[in-house]
Amino acid sequence: MIEIKEVSKHYSGQRKVINRLNLTIPDGKIVGFLGPNGAGKSTTIKMMTGVLPIDEGVITLDGNDIEKKPLEAKRIIGYVPDRPDLFLRLKGLEYLNFIADIYDVPKEVRQERIERITKQFSIYNSLDDYIQSYSHGMRQKIIVTGVLLHDPSIWILDEPLTGLDPKSAYILKEMMREHANKGKTVFFSSHGLEVVEQLCDEVAIINNGELLFYGTLEDMKETYKSDQSLEQVFLELTSNE
Amino acid sequence: MNKTWKLIRIMLKMQYSRVGKKNSETALLVIALLFLLPMAFVYISVVRNALTAFYNVLEPLGQESLIIGILLLTSHIILLFVSFITILSAFYFAEDIDSFIPFPLQPYQLILAKSAGPMIYLYGTAALFYLPVLFIYGGVSSASILFYIAGMMIFLLLPIIPFTIAGILLMFIMRFVNIAKNKDRSKVIAGISSFALIILLNVFIRLNTDVDVIMQDAAIFIREQDGLLRWITAFYPPAYFGTMTLTAITIWNGILSFFASIALHAGAIILFIWAGQLLYIKGVLGMGTANKSNFSDARLSKKTKVSPVWLSYIKKELRIIFRTPTFLTQCVVSSLFAPIFLIIILFMDSSSGNIGGLLDGVTGKHGLLILFLGSLLIVGTNATSISGISREGKSWHANLFLPLNPKQVLLSKIATAWIINLFTILLAVILFVFIIKLEWTLFLIWLPLALLASWFSSALGMYLDLLQPKLNWTDEQEVFKSRMIGLIGIIIQLGIFGIIVLLLWNLNIINGIYMTAAILYVLIIIGIGVMHSLMHHKIKQKQHQLI
Repeated sequence: MIEIKEVSKHYSGQRKVINRLNLTIPDGKIVGFLGPNGAGKSTTIKMMTGVLPIDEGVITLDGNDIEKKPLEAKRIIGYVPDRPDLFLRLKGLEYLNFIADIYDVPKEVRQERIERITKQFSIYNSLDDYIQSYSHGMRQKIIVTGVLLHDPSIWILDEPLTGLDPKSAYILKEMMREHANKGKTVFFSSHGLEVVEQLCDEVAIINNGELLFYGTLEDMKETYKSDQSLEQVFLELTSNE
Repeated sequence: MNKTWKLIRIMLKMQYSRVGKKNSETALLVIALLFLLPMAFVYISVVRNALTAFYNVLEPLGQESLIIGILLLTSHIILLFVSFITILSAFYFAEDIDSFIPFPLQPYQLILAKSAGPMIYLYGTAALFYLPVLFIYGGVSSASILFYIAGMMIFLLLPIIPFTIAGILLMFIMRFVNIAKNKDRSKVIAGISSFALIILLNVFIRLNTDVDVIMQDAAIFIREQDGLLRWITAFYPPAYFGTMTLTAITIWNGILSFFASIALHAGAIILFIWAGQLLYIKGVLGMGTANKSNFSDARLSKKTKVSPVWLSYIKKELRIIFRTPTFLTQCVVSSLFAPIFLIIILFMDSSSGNIGGLLDGVTGKHGLLILFLGSLLIVGTNATSISGISREGKSWHANLFLPLNPKQVLLSKIATAWIINLFTILLAVILFVFIIKLEWTLFLIWLPLALLASWFSSALGMYLDLLQPKLNWTDEQEVFKSRMIGLIGIIIQLGIFGIIVLLLWNLNIINGIYMTAAILYVLIIIGIGVMHSLMHHKIKQKQHQLI
């Protein structure tokens, strides 16, 4: 479970980019995080993953405060950043071993998971190549593989489907569903509204650092008394701000 | 030409635009320059004394032009060496070229624009070696204003020939080395070969230097006016014409030499542009796609290894350094270059029996102090620690979202810099044990002290990089260029320990090697403790998240 309580953030000399944000994401759900460019999605995710310090408020991941118990909290999550350009001079397998070492994944377990996931993603044969030589989609896949090596109970993904071919995007969506079905949390930001509509159990919409809506798609239709698509509601909500 | 000019401006802007923008860095630079000012006075006065003495001997023989000849030859040799390094970095290691290739630009326009950065560097180097001697020579020989004007014109021409020679040679090498599949490896091989070439060239010159023959030749040439000049510049016309321009500027001979010089340089530039048009792009482009080779389950099993986090982190750091041409050149090769160069020269001298007495004075207390300060200087120039965080670039945030203790990250980075310093220390060990044959007591006290100094230096470098890292780079070159952090690090360590060494040197209460060693050990351990607590303090302030 992810709990965001009264969280605010401002960069030096600027107005608040996140303003008293409250959000509770339960286990076993896939939650889509929506908002226009500059709404505060990435800042929120960066605070959730410990990349940015929190100015006010608390974020807990399965009860672990990301500020007070950063290592415990980070061990629980698996984070796929928006840009998959990490450690490009390592070979695919070296990267996965490095990540597995950090999360203390035993040899047999990591070997089985590396083989299974990379074969699913069709990057198994490129494991001995440098990540620098990978395409954008392949880089995304190797990062997702790394994240799944320790079977995290919370999965946070920033624009995960960008650059993936249709087959790999389908596999990733399946993985997210499987993960949620096992009672774990999947939280991801996206610009693709169809994906959110198709995949998510719940949706959070943010603009100008404030939460505009959180709930199921049915809740949304009921709240806004409309038969409109998610796209139309999203445009309406964010243009009113 | 308009496009070329625009390209030059953009490339220079990308490289130098950040200089002096941070106030704290500018202040540190000013302090550094103030430290260097007395050294500049010493440098100029040494040059003036030597030159005056030399001039007074040569002038009655009509051979004073030899001074200018040697000056130009030396400047060209230095500039040639510097050109190899800067061209390799700017033309081949800098990856910004990838973003210019899709534009409708001619290869010659790209190499002309790429040359701007290295040329500025070369003019700086030339100013340091050539200008003081030129002005002192002018003063000593009571030269006319024409001499100074001609001198400045020669200065403007000075880097062109060394630059074009190095450029054409490297473009030729890279064009054919780059056929290999792995672009990075080709760059590394070419880079190391260039350093090896410089060293081999030196060995070759030294092997072919027969003192007796030289003296006989000199005796013949000294009999005629400017004979010595013609003799030493016979194989290198740019130096001959340059010297004649300067020493005979008031007569036709000088003016003709000047035009010959201009023609030579123009020819070199045309040749450079032609070679660039023909070879550059083919040398830059590499094959950079995944192999899709067959990966077997057996290989997966063999290559899947479990390591403790700190070891895994250090392995990752070393792999990235050794596989990134810029990092390898800046962090490893350039720090090994000077010791290897020194070892070869000393080894050759020792085999010819010239080394006797070189380090006779290096014993006891003073010997230890010299070795300690020397070690600090050598390990202090290594760029691994001062780039520890900056090297990560945009990957730095991975250190934050992965469950890594920031203290462990920094310690692993310090350890990486320390391991790379081990190569330099190992070379020093070879030098001390096999060539200089240092006395054992001194050697055994020095070695652990050097290892501790290396840890201190690495921790200091890492701390400085933590304060002002450069993460937003698009090209690995930017981690090292236009940053004063390396110089600041050396000045801090040499400033602190230089004063301590000076005190220990002069204090008569501190006697003998053991007492001096004990004090140095205690001080360096205190230094390490201070660096670690400063770093701990910064981590508590969340500096690692704020950068």
